[in-house]
This record gives sequence, C-alpha cells and structure tokens, in this order.
Amino acid sequence: MAKKYDLQEVEVLDGNVAMTHALRQAQVDVLPAYPITPSTKIVELFSQFCADGYVDGEFIRVESEHAAMSACVGASAAGARVATATASQGLAFMIEVLYQASGMRLPIVLCLSNRALAAPLNVNGDHSDMYLARDAGWIQLCSFEAQHSYDLALMAFRIGEHVDVRLPVVVNQDGFITSHTAENVHMIPDEKATAFVGELEVVNSLLDNTKPITYGVQTEENWHFEHKARQHNDLLESKSHIKKVFEEFNEKFGREYKIVEQHKVDDADMVIVCIGSTFNTSSLVVDNFREKGIKVGVIAPRVLRPFPYEEFAEALKDTKVVACLDRSSPNGAVGMLYNEISGALINNEKTPIISNYIYGLGGRDVTIELLSSVFNDLTENLKAGKLTHKVQQMLGLRGPKCEYFGEKG
Amino acid sequence: MEKLLGWDEILPGACLFAFGEEIKENVAQTPRDSRKYSDNNSHQAHVSDWRVTKPVFNVDHCINCQFCWVYCPDMSIISKDKKMIEVDYDHCKGCGICAEVCPTPVKSLMMVEEFKSEEETLAAWPEKKKKEAK
Amino acid sequence: MLEIRWHSRAGQGAVTGAKGFAEVVSHTGKEVQAFAFYGSAKRGAAMTAYNRVDDKQIINNEKYMEPDYVLVLDPALVMSDSIILNHKESTTYILGTNLTRDEVLEEAPFLKGKRIHTVDCMKISLNTIGRAIPNTPMLGAFMKVSQMLPIEEFKEDMKLSLKKFPQKIIDANMDAISQAYGEVS
Repeated sequence: MAKKYDLQEVEVLDGNVAMTHALRQAQVDVLPAYPITPSTKIVELFSQFCADGYVDGEFIRVESEHAAMSACVGASAAGARVATATASQGLAFMIEVLYQASGMRLPIVLCLSNRALAAPLNVNGDHSDMYLARDAGWIQLCSFEAQHSYDLALMAFRIGEHVDVRLPVVVNQDGFITSHTAENVHMIPDEKATAFVGELEVVNSLLDNTKPITYGVQTEENWHFEHKARQHNDLLESKSHIKKVFEEFNEKFGREYKIVEQHKVDDADMVIVCIGSTFNTSSLVVDNFREKGIKVGVIAPRVLRPFPYEEFAEALKDTKVVACLDRSSPNGAVGMLYNEISGALINNEKTPIISNYIYGLGGRDVTIELLSSVFNDLTENLKAGKLTHKVQQMLGLRGPKCEYFGEKG
Repeated sequence: MEKLLGWDEILPGACLFAFGEEIKENVAQTPRDSRKYSDNNSHQAHVSDWRVTKPVFNVDHCINCQFCWVYCPDMSIISKDKKMIEVDYDHCKGCGICAEVCPTPVKSLMMVEEFKSEEETLAAWPEKKKKEAK
Repeated sequence: MLEIRWHSRAGQGAVTGAKGFAEVVSHTGKEVQAFAFYGSAKRGAAMTAYNRVDDKQIINNEKYMEPDYVLVLDPALVMSDSIILNHKESTTYILGTNLTRDEVLEEAPFLKGKRIHTVDCMKISLNTIGRAIPNTPMLGAFMKVSQMLPIEEFKEDMKLSLKKFPQKIIDANMDAISQAYGEVS
C-alpha cells in the first residue's frame, strides 16, 4: 500500500511537479520513460515517489523514447495503468509507437511538456511536438497553467480508460512556461483524487490465459479501413465522455473545464484563437482592450483532438474578425489552427475575416505588446471590412516583414 | 555584445563557421593565439568568471599520463607532444574533474579558491611522503 | 502586482530562492509566480530568475518584466549593467557584494541615483551554511528592505519550505537570514 503524501491545500508547484502528483494519485502501475528537457522533472520525481514508497507501481528505465512508448504499449496491453512523459525530439522518436498505441486502443497517458524541434537545437517551448502528434490518433488535452496540468493529468486517466473510449491521451503543457513556472496549485487530497480516477477496468489483457489474444494484427486492404474508421469514430465520440468527466470534476472539486475555453468571446467583434499559456496572457490583453471599449475576446481549444469543430462554429458565429495564432512553424502552409478554424467556420451563415500568425517559436517571449499588436491589426481589418495584410504573418520576428498567402486587401 | 541577425541575414542550416576566413595554413601547427577564430567560435567566449575554485598545476608531481587532458570536458588542459603544459583559464569552468582523475600520489592538480595566487598555492603544496628508511 | 528579478549564477540557488520565497508568500494568501530563464546554462553561467506576487491569480506569462526589486546574488554580476535592464524609477536594488555602497557606485556608475542596498550574502552563506549559496541571506535582506513580512514569521514559514533538509542545514539557513536582515544597509 502506497504511503500517503503530505499535501497542503495550496502548494506552489510548477506544471511538471503538479502533473507528477496527478500520476502518483492515479497510482500509475507502470511508468517507462527516457527523460528529456523540459519534462525531465516528471520522470525524476515519479521515480523518486516509487523509491520512497509513495507509489506501488514501477518505474522502468529504458534505452530510448521509442522503447519507452513500446514498454507503455506492452504494459497497457497487459492491463496496467500506464503513463510516461516526454518532449520534442523524444516525442519525435516515439511517433511510430504513438500510432501503434492508438491503433491498439491502449489508454496510455503521455505528459508532454511542449518544446521546439531541432534543428536548430532549442530546449524552450513551442507547439511543434504537439502538432507533430496531432494526427496520431490520441486524445489531446491542453493546459494553460500548472493547475490545469494537474487537473487534466488526473482526468486523462478517466477519459482514456473508459471502456467506450479506450484511447491514449496526451496532456500538453507549455514547456518552461507552464512546466517550470511555480504558481499556486490547489491540490486534491490523495484519497479523493485516487477515488476520482478509480480502478482501471482491464480490457482484453495480454496476461489473461483464459483468453489468449494478439494485439495489432496485420490488416491489408480488406480490413485496414474499417479499423481506422472505427478508431476515428470512437475518437470523435470520446468528446461526449470528455464533457462528462469535466462536469463530474467540476461537481466534485469546483474547477470548471470546457471543450473550448473562452474569455469575453460572446459579444466580441474580434477574437484571437490560440493554444496553451498564450490564452492566459491574451485574456489580460483582452481586458486591457475592453477597458478602452474595444470588443475583443480570446478562445482556445482545451481539447485539440477530437477537434471541437461544432463548438468553434457556434462560439465564433457572430465574430467579424478572427486571428489564429500558431506556435509551430507550418513549413510551407498556413498554420494548423488557421486551417482547422477556417474549416469549422466555412459552413456557417457568415464567415469572419480570418488571418494567421506564427509566433513564439523556440520560446520567443509572447508579450502583452505583441498580442496587443495583433488586436491592432484586427481593428484595421474590421474597419476596412477585409484583410489589410496577407493571410499569414510572423509575430515578433527580427528582419524584414514576413507575410504570405493571398494578396493584400 | 552579440549581434542579433534578421531572418534574411542568418546562415541557412543553423550553421556557424569555426574560423573567420578560409584556412590556408595547417591549423594544428599554428599557435592557439594566432588562429583566426570567428567571433562566434566558443573559443572567443571566456567563462573564467563561472569558477568558484580553479585548478592549479604543479609540474613537479606530473607524470604526463594525460588523464586530465582526456577527461577535461572543456578542452582546457593544454598539452603538447603528450606533455601537460598548463590550464587554459579562459575556458576552464572549475569543475574539478582534472584534479579528481589525477593519479599521482600527491596530486599534480589541485582545486583552490579562485582568489588564491598560483605562487601561494604552489608554496603550500603537500609534500611527497618520504620513503621510510629500512 | 509586485515583480522581482534575481540575477545569479546557475548553482547559487536563485531558482530555489525564488520558489522558496513564492511558497512563503503563498502562505499569506497571495498568488505567486516563480520562474527562470533557462538556456543550455551550466553551473556558473549568469542567469536570471523571476517572481510575481499579486492578490489575484497571475495570468501574465510574458517573460518581459519591469521589476520593483532586483536581487543580485553574485558580487561580479553587480558590475554588469544588465541588472538595470527594463528598470523603472522606483526599482530597488539589493546587491550581494563585499563592497561598500560608495565602492559599488565607483565600480558601477550606472547605479548612481538608484535605490541601492548592499549586503555580503556570499560571506554570510559561507560563514553560516558553509557553501556559496547566497539565496536565503538575500531573502533575509529583502525582508528587511521591503518590510513585506515580519522577519520571525518569514523564518517560521521558510523552515517549512526547507523541511526536507537536515536540521543543521535549516538552522544554518535561519542564521543566514537573520544575519543578512541585520547587516543589509
């Protein structure tokens, strides 16, 4: 029986430590990991929890991230509650097995402290790894602050492990910004948190000798499509279950999470769409503009996959100008959020003017000044009734102005 | 002060040149101080103020085993013709690995406080134990 | 909102100091933030850490800061003009140095006309803790200068923050805090 951890109601923790407490309270059975900045602390602290008797589960040192995710797959298929943590190049090295995990419908929880991808080598935060994993068939949850990292990591087990879902879950947090900023985090006492997560309902265990089973069989053109379609369907349907878990969490612990998080979007003429900690800083900027009587808002997906198409379509149905902020180099295209949001809004009765900003790559500071400049651009668009610049711009970049796609208004 | 370049000025490929110009001479035969390192070569970045303690070298005890040269993580042990010459104090960060791996009975490298002078340290160096007379 | 920037060398405990401070302040019901700039920084390299304190939740995640207080742990960094980056008129400096105020101003003329306090944190930490970790003495000095919390209350809370350490180390840190509180000028 694991020892009880002495927690105060409010702890000052960074996102990594907060997430690790969630893993401890979920009493993860197996955590195979290969530590990488900025997620290292999760691995380090979990192994310490194991060594100190705060977790009954097992920490497995592996030889690479590929091996880490492979061990996750094995342990999860055997019927264990499984988690791991990684970032950046580590996630990139896991990619092959990420598809295996989702295809085998294994409810692994992956704590991802988002970091840029090399080259150039960079340890700081952007969403390149989050975007890299976005088509891998995992549920993706996004934290904006350490409190969310903790809460979402707890909820991730409930979401992924549900028998109707049975899908792996990524919990994203901004590397160094959320992962390393210590702030007030309201903790749930061990017994309540553990009870909330509950026992893992084992499905088709590899170790069940009464029903020997093979995972990840070969399928060619006569079977493959149906498997992938089923997985896609179940991933989309997981949204209703995610909502239920969010609601139950709110009832029990009084913290509200929504599929799409909004700040003053309802009557806004102009809205920024972004992911992660930028939502929080943007909310501050929104309040500054509102004081000047300018109707702006900010919206962000809490759940990136399944993508909240309907929620965005509804929330932005009356918005006149929208800027989609992508924190990952799109490398030859418009940013992912621009694509997804345009797709979500294109079948509405009215569609807003939509622009795309690439920002914050490799940890470039996302300042109030920069975010204010976006709203200033949007104000110009609103006045002109059309784009006054090309579709895509780089925000906070040194050198001549970079803008792409479409002619200027 | 580091000059920050714009996106249109950087060298594609996340590359940096080691030398400021094309090398025509045999660099290995050129004294270190005469080599034309480029401004962004890490050789130009001095880290002496990172140190709390520094290694002091005592040639009298050294057997030129080259352990310090092999283990130094910052190439701050200057060795020529397999003979230990000196410590490069511009690039030594004071990690102490050289002194740790030094195998001589009385160490040939010792870590001392940064402010202590070399003369003072050498003067106070521990003595070799004399072999006891039978 | 109160904003603090720490200038330190990696290994001198600025991050631990900033987090310890944040924890103590959180016990008074305040909302806090503690973060640092990380690069491929190694022990000894100059680095900065940051605190924000407010009555309501801090949602500002920008690294840009115009600090109310600048705390400098390493004597050599006092001479670097990066410590006055993004300063404002009211910025108060607590400089960890063995020099007197006048000697500092002679060495670092850019500090003339600024609100300056000095304390030899390094000496205090070597004398009490026995290692060059000047973070807790700096916090003692900060308590004196800012009058943020009564020193005894601060020390009691700091003991909780340090509870994972052996009693000897906790006592040494308490000594360091008291000495710096008394000596800062």
